[in-house]
Amino acid sequence: MRSLRIGLLLGIRQIQRASYWTTGLIIFVMTLTFLNLIAVSGILIGLIEGSERAVQRFSLGDVIVTPLAEEDHILETERFVKTLQTLPEIDNYSVRFRGNAEIEANYMERRDLAADRDVVAAVVTGIDPLQEEAMTNLSSTLIEGEYLDPTEEGYILIGAYFIKRYAEQFGDVFDALDDVYPGDTVRLTFGDISKEFEVKGIIQSKVDEINLNTYIPEREFRRIFNRIDRNADQIVMRLEPGTSADTLQASLTSIGLDEYAKIQTFEESLPKFLIDIKNTFNVLGTFIGSIGIVVASITIFIIIFINAVSRRQQIGILKGIGIHREVIEIAYVAQAAFYALVGSAIGALFTYGYLVPYFDRNPIQFPFSDGILVADPETTFWRFVTLFVITLIAGLVPAWMIVRQNTLNSILGRK
Amino acid sequence: MLTSVKILPTPLCPHASAHRKPCYNTGMTNLVEAKNIHRRFGKGHLTTHVLKGIDLTVAEGEFLAIMGKSGAGKSTLMYQLSVLDTPTEGTIYVDGTDVLSLNERDATDFRLQTLGYVFQNYALVPDLSAQENVMMPLLMRGEDWTAAKRRANLMLDEVGLEGKYMSLPGMLSGGEQQRVAVARALAGKPKIIFADEPTANLDSVSGQQVVDLLTTLHREQQQTIVMVTHEPEYAEPCDRIVYLEDGRIITR
Repeated sequence: MRSLRIGLLLGIRQIQRASYWTTGLIIFVMTLTFLNLIAVSGILIGLIEGSERAVQRFSLGDVIVTPLAEEDHILETERFVKTLQTLPEIDNYSVRFRGNAEIEANYMERRDLAADRDVVAAVVTGIDPLQEEAMTNLSSTLIEGEYLDPTEEGYILIGAYFIKRYAEQFGDVFDALDDVYPGDTVRLTFGDISKEFEVKGIIQSKVDEINLNTYIPEREFRRIFNRIDRNADQIVMRLEPGTSADTLQASLTSIGLDEYAKIQTFEESLPKFLIDIKNTFNVLGTFIGSIGIVVASITIFIIIFINAVSRRQQIGILKGIGIHREVIEIAYVAQAAFYALVGSAIGALFTYGYLVPYFDRNPIQFPFSDGILVADPETTFWRFVTLFVITLIAGLVPAWMIVRQNTLNSILGRK
Repeated sequence: MLTSVKILPTPLCPHASAHRKPCYNTGMTNLVEAKNIHRRFGKGHLTTHVLKGIDLTVAEGEFLAIMGKSGAGKSTLMYQLSVLDTPTEGTIYVDGTDVLSLNERDATDFRLQTLGYVFQNYALVPDLSAQENVMMPLLMRGEDWTAAKRRANLMLDEVGLEGKYMSLPGMLSGGEQQRVAVARALAGKPKIIFADEPTANLDSVSGQQVVDLLTTLHREQQQTIVMVTHEPEYAEPCDRIVYLEDGRIITR
């Protein structure tokens, strides 16, 4: 304790008497190291996280209900939905019917019957427009035209990747329709049943599922696809703020609804490859951050080393008058700790006070995602601990190297 | 505050008032007993034999000066006696302790508890105030902050630096810095103070002030002091002068 007290006194005084510029520069280096450690991996993970958030916000919600493995549709959908309506934890939900169909455009203008038809195979989703709008704000994805009116029939929303002028950027990856605009007529064919729809709007989103989907009112879907049992293919729910998805899942399971459908939280529904990508980006970000730590620790090492070398005689005299070695080592470790703490504190303040909210409001625009900055506090804390410990070692090693030298040689400046 | 009056040597032994020969068996307790001290540096044909069989005692309460030409081995001898260096041969007892048997940590503790040092370049910590510089060895000895501070202020008053407690070394003159070093050396009430050319970096006035301070300490508190100097006028107040030439004590 004695050595700690005196060592801290020496360390604090050295910091107080040091040049403000030098101290400021060292703290700046530590702040940048902290940001490198947190922000770089945070942005990388944020690419995936941003994509996930978009999927959760605009498509799947917090809890997703899908058919059981051995079933084609959700059993007893109406009963299921009635139950959902009684649960206060659920803010909104949407019932979706899915089917595959052929959509043909420009068939009325086709003169050469031998030429290729302008046709795509598409997923058709039957929705309650009002329910879907409340759940996912689907109308916000409109890039042309208008949203579906629940009182109207014969209208369809088409995802942008089915339209050639929007799908061209992907080459021939997607089959797309030529020159389709709101107001044009397309023909939807399922088996022997065909029906014409007027294109009400074209939708585009960072969520690919929306771009590769078409939407028609639910009752028209059930007529075309002959879904007389009214059993849906997907029910998505958004929970009230503060409600746990796991708790709701458990609640739905406890009342036996898992006999009719598979009930998953959003996290459970994520495909493994996405989780793997996140983990890989995390590792990559940690690796990049580690390089920053190495650089910062070398910087601290050099600074402390130069400081200790220039004070070698003074260190020798302190030892000569009876000051223990560890006092001097503690003094330098205390300085290193100060730089690490202050630099990290400024970095943390900047990250949580500015960067995270900034990227939430102004995400980085990637084609497939809105890139945000993810900075989980627990992860940040452990990374800070790593940085702190390594900085302490970087401060201790040079101090130890100088302090262990022969006392008299240090006093006399001998090698 | 200690008065800085030049005093006549106190007769520690029958020879002191005569021609200042080295004294043995004065009847006083010997704080330092060094026998057959040799110190060699280097190896093989590059060996330098600096101290060549020195026998020396320092009595309790004695003010001893070690003089000699440059390269005679004065400082080297003092480093052996003050437990800062280890002789190649010989034995040294300081305050009854065989200092050559101490490991590094014990030697550090011994220096802390028993000895005080005044170096020619003052050797103050530039980041600590005068008060904190004096407090350092006291804190290291386990004194609490308040007691150490009080004692440090008392020592600074004793050496004539009232009101300069919070001054950094850089704000003090050379003489003032050396007086802080003396205060630091005194603070722990050491058995012996070793002063290695304490006036070397000072002008004559400041140098005389420092020597007067040491002299007063010796006279009023019977402080045992071993001082290396090459200025005869600074050695005048000493009880005894030991002359070194070519690594041996000579008699003049």
